[in-house]
Amino acid sequence: MTKDDVVAVIVENILDNLDDVEEGEIDTSKSMKDYGANSLDIIEVVSTSMRELKIKIPRTELADIDTIDSLADKFLEYVNK
Amino acid sequence: MDDVLKFSFADFFFNDSENVLNPPSDFQEWMQDPRVQYGFSFFEQQLLKAPRAKTEILSNIDGKKRSVINLTSYNYLGLSTHPEVIEAAIEGLKKYGLGASGAPLLSGTFDLSVKFAKMLADFKEKEACLLYSSGLGGNMGAIQGLLRKGDYLIMDEKCHKSLVDGGTLSGAKMQFFKHNDIEHLNQLLEKYKDKRILVAIEGVYSMDGDLAKLPEIVEVIDQYPNVAIYIDEAHSTLMFGENGRGVAEHFGLEHKMGITFGTLSKSFGGVGGFVCSNKDIIRYLQGYSSPYNFSCAPAPSIVAGLIKALEVATRDSSLRDKLWKNTEYFKKGLLDLKLDIGETESQVIPIIIGSDGNMLFEMAAELQTKGLFLQPVDFPAVPAESRRFRISVSTQLSKEDIDEALNIIEDVIAKRLKTI
Repeated sequence: MTKDDVVAVIVENILDNLDDVEEGEIDTSKSMKDYGANSLDIIEVVSTSMRELKIKIPRTELADIDTIDSLADKFLEYVNK
Repeated sequence: MDDVLKFSFADFFFNDSENVLNPPSDFQEWMQDPRVQYGFSFFEQQLLKAPRAKTEILSNIDGKKRSVINLTSYNYLGLSTHPEVIEAAIEGLKKYGLGASGAPLLSGTFDLSVKFAKMLADFKEKEACLLYSSGLGGNMGAIQGLLRKGDYLIMDEKCHKSLVDGGTLSGAKMQFFKHNDIEHLNQLLEKYKDKRILVAIEGVYSMDGDLAKLPEIVEVIDQYPNVAIYIDEAHSTLMFGENGRGVAEHFGLEHKMGITFGTLSKSFGGVGGFVCSNKDIIRYLQGYSSPYNFSCAPAPSIVAGLIKALEVATRDSSLRDKLWKNTEYFKKGLLDLKLDIGETESQVIPIIIGSDGNMLFEMAAELQTKGLFLQPVDFPAVPAESRRFRISVSTQLSKEDIDEALNIIEDVIAKRLKTI
């Protein structure tokens, strides 16, 4: 699985969980908060993405991640383990 | 599972098992790990006596009965065990029986509950009050009853889960402002100013013991017409303010609070919750707040005790005066030990030990075996880098109790932290 595949999963879940966000407008260098996500929305996106990617990362390891891009990097690290 | 201790309840919310009646497979694996079981052994320990300043527990650590100084119960004013309150509850029990046997709208409204609701509304200087049989239900139900899809609930990020759950049930959008960050609150208000907005805050925040920056919050909200304030005074009612009405009274801003919530399980010493506001919105909530109109009403026996609790707590200031005296003495002792008690301004005092979860539970075991009932608070209830113990100061603690508690805290926490 490539990073683009991981990003695609995250983006799909962002579109599923956040209103008023269009596919083309998501910039992965930004945070989900920039698209109106609250902390509960972020948990939803992260958890559903992990379930789809069949990985499990402790929340404590995700605390400092602040962009969609760095979330994808962290996910990829676990996908390739 | 690698690194079981890195996981917490925060990691198993989503269940991927095929049968919904089976928890996640890795949750089972995690829970069965002896190190995780040890951590959970501190929770749900049985109290064998009333939650007084000195009580007895059946320890989950070693299965022994243990006499302890109680720094964990919310019996802040000692009202759950006040002789007059107990006597009133007994009389209520004899006259009305154990439970209400009905929802408020049909058969669960008693003369006692009408009287108590009126007393609470008068006490809070609002027009009307709605009683709930649960504190969590009150917060959740009031928010769920007030807001609808398309509305915005803007709340402090440290607000209680009951407020968040109320927001979820209501269908409103939720936005969280950084804790007591007035500029962030203002940004969110500006962004959503065209929507119907309720701002929810707490008087005293329950994990840190600090207060809402109410004057600044009110100043910002005043710039936006129709933005209402919901204040949760669960940990401040009967304690803050000249008359014990809460943090809003403490700041002289009660008239700015659109709706005020209180619990009946903490300083009141019973169980239940209430909201006070204008009579029209309370009448509306009676029809739309599910934990009110679809739940059995508060037990009249409990309400009988609560009426007396309110009378005792407000007939003079002696109980809260003693609470603040105890709190100041306890805080001074902790600061003399060079412990980190955060920004507390209330009877809730954290002892923040840092990120080491193992150390937290080792200390918790030692505190208990030395005779202190002081529970650890772990991630995700608090940030992973600021795991802590949380002291609930009570009026019932004597100076000797506090001195003994400080001695144990010094031996177990302060001395160990000095070696790091």
